[in-house]
Amino acid sequence: MQSEADLGDLLEKVAGKDQAALRAIYVRQSTRLFGIAMAILRDRVAAADVLQDSFLRVWQRAGQFDRTRGEPQVWLGSIVRHAALDAVRARGREIPTDDPGLGDSLVEPDAIDSISAADEGKRLHACLERLPEANRQGIVLAFVHGLSHPEIATKLDLPLGTVKSWIRRGLLSLRECLS
Amino acid sequence: MRTIPTDPDELAAIAGEYVLGTLDARAARMIEDALPTHADLLALVGEWEHRLAPLSNLALPEAPPPELWDRIAGQIEPPARIATRPRFLRLWQGWAIGASLAAAALAAIAILPSQQDQRVMTVLVSDRTQTAWTAEVDRQGGLKLASVNAPGGTEINTSPEGKVLQLWALPPGATAPTSLGLLPRGAGDIKIAAPAVKPVPGMLIEISLEPPGGSPFGNKPSGPVLFIGRLSAAGPAT
Repeated sequence: MQSEADLGDLLEKVAGKDQAALRAIYVRQSTRLFGIAMAILRDRVAAADVLQDSFLRVWQRAGQFDRTRGEPQVWLGSIVRHAALDAVRARGREIPTDDPGLGDSLVEPDAIDSISAADEGKRLHACLERLPEANRQGIVLAFVHGLSHPEIATKLDLPLGTVKSWIRRGLLSLRECLS
Repeated sequence: MRTIPTDPDELAAIAGEYVLGTLDARAARMIEDALPTHADLLALVGEWEHRLAPLSNLALPEAPPPELWDRIAGQIEPPARIATRPRFLRLWQGWAIGASLAAAALAAIAILPSQQDQRVMTVLVSDRTQTAWTAEVDRQGGLKLASVNAPGGTEINTSPEGKVLQLWALPPGATAPTSLGLLPRGAGDIKIAAPAVKPVPGMLIEISLEPPGGSPFGNKPSGPVLFIGRLSAAGPAT
C-alpha cells in the first residue's frame, strides 16, 4: 500500500535531485493539487501555471521538507495554495464574487461533510460546526476559494469590519477547539 | 500592519490569517520574508497548515492539462531531453492495490471523443490514491470502465462484501445526478452500452458505495462518493 510515508520517501529522493521521484509525486498528487489551484483560480491556464511553478518549487525545496514537522500531503498542498493565492493577488483578485462558478459548480461552503474522511478532518468538521454559519462560510471561502475579506463581505452581504473580526475570532476558536 | 507582532496571540492570529489566505499581498510577503528566520512564526504557520489542511478536500480533484508534466520536466532538466509521450497508464500500473476500500486511494480517468476528436477527460484521485479507473466513451456513446493498475482480467470492482459500487452522472446545470447503473463484479472491463445520459464536457462523474441493489434514494447516492470528477477537454485524441 502506498502511504504518507512513501510520499515522504519520494520527497527525500527529490531532495537528492531524483527526477523520477518528482514524477512519481506528480502522478499521485497532480490531480488533487490541480483541484486545489482550480478552486482558487477557476482558470485552467492559470492553474496549470501555478502547478508548474509549484512543482519547480518542490524540486528546489524538497530538502526543506521535514517529515517530523508535518505530512507531505499538507506540505505539497500548502505550496500550491500559496502559489495560487499569490497569482490571485497579482491579478488584483479581479474575479467577481457573483461569479456563478463560485459556490455551485465548485463546492458549496456548507458542504463541509467531505472534509471529515480522516480523523483530523472529523475534528476540524466538529469544530467548524460550532462556529456561527457566516463565520464558517467565510473561513471556507477564504481557504478553499481564496476570497479576500472584501470579497467575502460582498458574498455574505456583511460589513467588511464584521467579516474581518469574525474570521479572526473564528480562527482563534478553531485553534482552541482543536488544541 | 507594518511589522510582525510580538504579542503571542497576535502572532498566532496573523499566522492563521496568512495560512487562510486573507492577508493582502504586502502583509503576506512580509510573513513569507520573515518565515526563514522567525522560528515561532514558522512553527505557528506549520500548525495552522496542519489544522486547516482537511479543508483542501473541499476542492474537487481535476486533471491538469496532459502536457503539463513535460513542461515541468523541461524546466528541471533543460538540455538534451529525450522527448517522450506521457505514459500515465504505465506509471500507474506500478501502484499497489489497496486491500481495503476504506483505506484505498482511488483514481478514475474518463475519456471521451468529441466531434473534433478532442479528448475530454478527467482524473479523479482521493487523498490516498490506490486504485485507478479509466472510463472511456466509445463512438457509439457507450461507456467502458477499466482499471488502470489492475490490468489483464483482474477483478476491478473491489467493493467490500455486502456493498456495491454505483455509477452516477451529473450533467452541467442539472440539480440531481442520474444513475448509470451498478458496477458488476467480475474480471475484466465493465461496459455500459447505453448510458442514461450522454457524457459531455463539464459533466460530473461519481462512483458511490451503496447497499445491494443500489442507492435507496434512487436519484442520489446514499453512501460515500469514492470517485468524483468533472470531464473537460484534454487535448487531441491519440
